Amino acid sequence: MSSRPPSTVMPITQPQGGVKKTDRLLRWIVVALLIVSVIVITFYTALSIYIATQLVYKPQKPLYATPASLGLQFKYVTFPSRIDQAQLKGWYIPGVLPNGNLTSQRTIIMVHGTRTNRADKDAGLLNLSGDLARHGFAILAFDMRGTGESPPAPLSLGYFEQRDVLGAVDFLRSGPIPYPALGRTHIIGGWGVSMGAATLMMATAQEPAIRAIVSDCAYADIIPILEREVPNGGHLPQLFTPGALFAARVLYGMDFYAVRPVDIVASIAPRPIFFIHGTIDTYVPTANMNILATAARTAPDAHIQTWLVPGADHAQSFNKEGTVYVDRVVAFYNAALGPDTSGK
Amino acid sequence: MSSQMNNTFNDPAQSLSLQQKGSALRGVLVGLIPLGLLLLICAVTVLLTALARQLVASSGFFAQQQASVIVLIVGLVVALVVYIIAVVRTLRSVTTWQRSGAGGQARAALLALGCTALVVLFPVALAIVLPQNPAP
Repeated sequence: MSSRPPSTVMPITQPQGGVKKTDRLLRWIVVALLIVSVIVITFYTALSIYIATQLVYKPQKPLYATPASLGLQFKYVTFPSRIDQAQLKGWYIPGVLPNGNLTSQRTIIMVHGTRTNRADKDAGLLNLSGDLARHGFAILAFDMRGTGESPPAPLSLGYFEQRDVLGAVDFLRSGPIPYPALGRTHIIGGWGVSMGAATLMMATAQEPAIRAIVSDCAYADIIPILEREVPNGGHLPQLFTPGALFAARVLYGMDFYAVRPVDIVASIAPRPIFFIHGTIDTYVPTANMNILATAARTAPDAHIQTWLVPGADHAQSFNKEGTVYVDRVVAFYNAALGPDTSGK
Repeated sequence: MSSQMNNTFNDPAQSLSLQQKGSALRGVLVGLIPLGLLLLICAVTVLLTALARQLVASSGFFAQQQASVIVLIVGLVVALVVYIIAVVRTLRSVTTWQRSGAGGQARAALLALGCTALVVLFPVALAIVLPQNPAP
């Protein structure tokens, strides 16, 4: 080491005290880049967090009526969701047989859409529940978390809400019997609209007790809809959507990218599915039904029916078709669930 | 073999090159400290947010949301402040190195800081560049 030339211990490339012009330029470029990056990422993160908080909660809509307004008997019920035990509120409406007797042999779980409730005036949910009850189907209509009379919760577009549908199944199978004289329900079916239909599909894939479902204007995958709706709602460019979805994941633990009924719909077979969609639905375009039906038919023992309702907008098929809608849905349930035998 | 090694160590050009590489590596490492701190604090913040969410889950949605948002924002502000302090300290080191003639080390640190800025911008760039899902 002692033989090392003196030059090797001297500072490299620069004479002391001097700074090259190129180095000064590089420094300014880097400093400018750092400042821009901090400003941009701070702005992007703050807006993403704000959008996420706005996306997941809106004040809950109160119920506008009860089944009593349709002249039907019903009872208020409360049951916990599966896994996280959110206390959900609902109605149990016994089915009315042609002879006027009540029945609870076949129960349909009614699953409402986004930011509405178990009465959902716009989609005519209470009227449809009443019509199905008069055709001999008992109805369990309930408010999913964060809606109606159920406790406030973030809207996850099916990610958490599927636990609510599973909670409804648990309630029907092992919860308190709303009408003890009628006994426990034996056969469970499901009907869902929009987010409710997507949620019902995801729950049905996990729960074999649901024997048949009607899916009215469900989405195949929520991300394309969020990518369209989040910028529309916030009047912001589309680039904030991934940030907002990531912020929602960090803040609420929900993964919107996992809300893809198209991935699980085939596993519902051999249980029948009836897909309904309006032809002028621009919110969840009609192609979603084709995607879901095609995916469902990949199961070798699939039983799939589809119905494109002419001139119906999003969640308006029942309002548009009225009794035709009810008759087709009733025919589907009768075929899939079998007749009511409680009177025999 | 022994004489070859002696030659290697005694070669002034090669020794200079080794020293340059070493100082450049030191510069890069110092330049990457702000990014490392930023990523570490952000990761801890995400974990703490999830923990806060779980801890107040029984208090209802609004308390849960408030706790999550507060933890997340405080964590991100801490990350931002620490990041800025680390960047300023690194830039001061760069100035010192430039004045003391360690230009290679200073340049390496500056380039690492430049890369740090690009990494910080990367999520936004990705959100702009990534093709959105075509709605069916």
